[in-house]
Amino acid sequence: MRLNLPDRFIRRCHSNRLGEATIGRQQIYIIPTRYGFGFALLLMLMWIGSINYANNLGLMLTFLLAGLAVVTMLHTWRNLLGLSFRVSRASQVFKGETACFYLQLINPRSDERPTIGLHFKNGDVIYSDLPPDCDQQVKLCITTERRGRLSIPRVQVFTTYPLGLFYAWSYLDLSGEALVYPAPGPRPQITNLPSYQLNAQGDKGVGADDFVGLRSYRPGDSPRQIDWKAQAREQGLHTKQFGGDRADLCWLEWDHYPHLGIEARLSALCRGVLDAVEQQQAFGLRLPNLTLKPARGETQRQAALRALALFAEAEQ
Amino acid sequence: MNSANQIKPAVLYHLTLVTALVVAPHFQRLDLRITLAFLAVLFLRWMTLYFAQWKTGRLLLFAVTIISAVLIFTVYPLLMGLEAKIALLSLMLGLKLMECRRRRDLMVVLLLGYFTLITHFLFDQEILLVGYVFIMVIALTGLMIEASRSTHTTGFRLNSLRYAASLVVQSLPIMLVLFFLFPRSSGPLWNLGVDNSTGQTGLSDNITPGSISNLIRSRAVAFRVDFDQDAPPPRQRYWRGPVLWHTDGNRWTRTTALQAKQITYQSLSPPVSYQVTLEPSPNNWLYALDLPEILPPEATLLPDFQITAKDIRNRRHRYSMTSRLEYHTGPLSRRERQLGLQVPDNITPRMRDLVSQWRSESTSDRELVNHALRFFRTELFYYTLTPPLMGENPSDQFLFESRRGFCEHYATSFTSLMRVAGIPSRVVTGYQGGELNPLGNYLIVRQSDAHAWSEVWLEESGWTRVDPTAAVAPERIEQSFDFDLEENNILGIPVIFSTADSSLLKQFAKQFRLGIDAANASWHRWVLGYSKEQQQKLLQHLGLGALSALKLALAMILATAVLIPLLLFLLRLGSQIKPDPVVRDYQRFCKQLDRKGINRFPYEGPLDFARRVVRKRPDLKQPVNAITQHYIKLRYGKADGPQLRKAFHQLVRQFRA
Repeated sequence: MRLNLPDRFIRRCHSNRLGEATIGRQQIYIIPTRYGFGFALLLMLMWIGSINYANNLGLMLTFLLAGLAVVTMLHTWRNLLGLSFRVSRASQVFKGETACFYLQLINPRSDERPTIGLHFKNGDVIYSDLPPDCDQQVKLCITTERRGRLSIPRVQVFTTYPLGLFYAWSYLDLSGEALVYPAPGPRPQITNLPSYQLNAQGDKGVGADDFVGLRSYRPGDSPRQIDWKAQAREQGLHTKQFGGDRADLCWLEWDHYPHLGIEARLSALCRGVLDAVEQQQAFGLRLPNLTLKPARGETQRQAALRALALFAEAEQ
Repeated sequence: MNSANQIKPAVLYHLTLVTALVVAPHFQRLDLRITLAFLAVLFLRWMTLYFAQWKTGRLLLFAVTIISAVLIFTVYPLLMGLEAKIALLSLMLGLKLMECRRRRDLMVVLLLGYFTLITHFLFDQEILLVGYVFIMVIALTGLMIEASRSTHTTGFRLNSLRYAASLVVQSLPIMLVLFFLFPRSSGPLWNLGVDNSTGQTGLSDNITPGSISNLIRSRAVAFRVDFDQDAPPPRQRYWRGPVLWHTDGNRWTRTTALQAKQITYQSLSPPVSYQVTLEPSPNNWLYALDLPEILPPEATLLPDFQITAKDIRNRRHRYSMTSRLEYHTGPLSRRERQLGLQVPDNITPRMRDLVSQWRSESTSDRELVNHALRFFRTELFYYTLTPPLMGENPSDQFLFESRRGFCEHYATSFTSLMRVAGIPSRVVTGYQGGELNPLGNYLIVRQSDAHAWSEVWLEESGWTRVDPTAAVAPERIEQSFDFDLEENNILGIPVIFSTADSSLLKQFAKQFRLGIDAANASWHRWVLGYSKEQQQKLLQHLGLGALSALKLALAMILATAVLIPLLLFLLRLGSQIKPDPVVRDYQRFCKQLDRKGINRFPYEGPLDFARRVVRKRPDLKQPVNAITQHYIKLRYGKADGPQLRKAFHQLVRQFRA
């Protein structure tokens, strides 16, 4: 936050193979805060005054406060020393949303550690007070700008406790990543795009005969198809869907959008996946490098979104 | 960062209280109006906290600032003197507290608070004050801790105060190192033009009737004396200060007309050696018992046995001295006779009549002196702290009308009478008596022991001390002047001396006071009097010899550098969590395996771990399973006992991966 050192000069804490990063003695930076400089000025004034008035007690008080400053520096440093961090989980979000990392702070000491501040570069600061010998979870969030794997950015952890005279901080390079899906694109025209595959067992298209299920209301839906009973039960506006099991299965294909760029195609496919899931349709996904067999449900959704997120990403 | 910048009202309440306490010792020194204004500002602050709807608006703040400024300039028009600066500081502190909204303001108030604490030492350096200041440092530090906490779930936590105390205590060793080793300079960095005449009392180089009785109200210590042998009896404890020769009939002053000469006198008693620790005073003279014989190097003896010294103003000074209590000063010089016989203009006929009556009844000067003393003893003279106001001619008025006076009245009028009689005489001011502190085995001489007496020159004994006060109030000489000032404050009431049979409570109070003073005395020697010279002495004592300032600074840094790891080590000891011995043994077992590349995952239970280990290292199957089973039994099972623990411990000890 305060220093912009070239990367190679920065001392950082890395996660060990268990994913835990512990702040060591040599990874803590410390500088006086503006209050610290104010305190130093105060000490100078007191010292000069005591010498000029030949006042030994004044000198003693000055030296007591000087000792206090030294001890405070030590305690500020110690407030970070030995603190361990682990990324316990990360949220999965669509591009443009805020990705959150859940950090576990571990205080292995029998002293409390109040006022531990955490933030990403230019991010919001989260404060945490750690009780003695205790773990605590904090959530650090960052706005996503591209799809794919998002490794946790460098975390800066700092404290000015106990007196606010010194600012001690440390850089954490933790291991942990969030998955960023492509942002869902505009809804493609529903008639021509998804390829509905004929099901051998039936010949029912999208129609008005068999009730298939509910989906949430979209503007333009016929009032006749709205599930008014559900609305009366205050369950929200839902539209009844009718059709047959021919519509049960749809393929979302890379080749459906020849006129779009890569990211736009991924966005469109993402929208398709979401729609299919909402309509409780089984769907398959066909990308140039990968094909997902048709299935339905949460697992399929995750697999599909993951495939879209990681499309053409270098494997890590 | 916003949450860290807000202060909770609870902290402000405590800040208000602590601010009041931090400034409190100044109340006795400040003008009452300033004190009241300061308290009013704090009260206003308290009100705005208590009634949250009363916002401390800019207008209110502005008004209070203007009022304070006007008040300061009314009371101290030119802002001259320490008191004015203290007043300014106090009110600034109050006003800053008033507008204290964010953390920055709070920190400014706290730093100003620390600064206010140091100003107390300019006026008072007793141990009690030091204790008070120490507690205030802890309180301010506690508030600082509270201010830097991110969440304020409760108000001021006692926890913070305890932590503050521990921080301050931890900084004590560093303070001692700095105090004793910080390179000292012998003089001030620059002259501040310190105005020490305010707030300090002490003898001055002239007296008028009433000047000593004002001084005597002060219980402040003038100096302390350690005797190398037994202290002389009270009636011999006359501490000579300024000697006064010239008078205009009212004021008596010193002389510069005496030529420096070889000073000799004939000693008639064994020498008395002692050390005097003089409290700071604006004067440049030293006090000695009667006639000084061996002087400290910085002192000069004047022909009238006054001692002056260089560079002792306004600081505590300690010196050694040897005196003779019985002596013969030898013949009188012409100049001395001339000075000792100056008669002021305001001698009245009835004074002359009185003297000539004595002269006719006596055959020698000595007899005349005795006549005069008998006059003071037999006539109805009162010894009082509050004599009536004297007019144009104080001696006459005192001798024949009011007859109520204090030692300076007796000494000056006696001296005047002697001069009328043609006997060379002079007034000596100083201290008489002193309280022997059995706990520290030294003498405390207070301002209330200030005294004035006469010296007359007689053919057979040279300059001879005559104390007319002793004739009127012999108790004054035999006892310490230890009376209750409150009781004796009414105009013209004779002084009642405390007697031996005063109540037990008073006796106890006196004992307590003496104990405090004994502590104070060593305090003065070791802390307040610590100087460059003593620093060098201490170093020599430690076998380091004299060190240059640079080496001293290095030694100081080195000592601090040793202290810090020591402190860290102690802190680490204090904060370590001691795990159960069983857990510790199991961790040791895991560490053994870890070294061989099999590390236990955080989520892995002992059984899973054991299974994995055995899969990787079938050769360890037997001991690993035994240890795991023991561990599970001890940690999770019902079986526990010293036997099983011991067996487990053995197993782990024997385990080699």
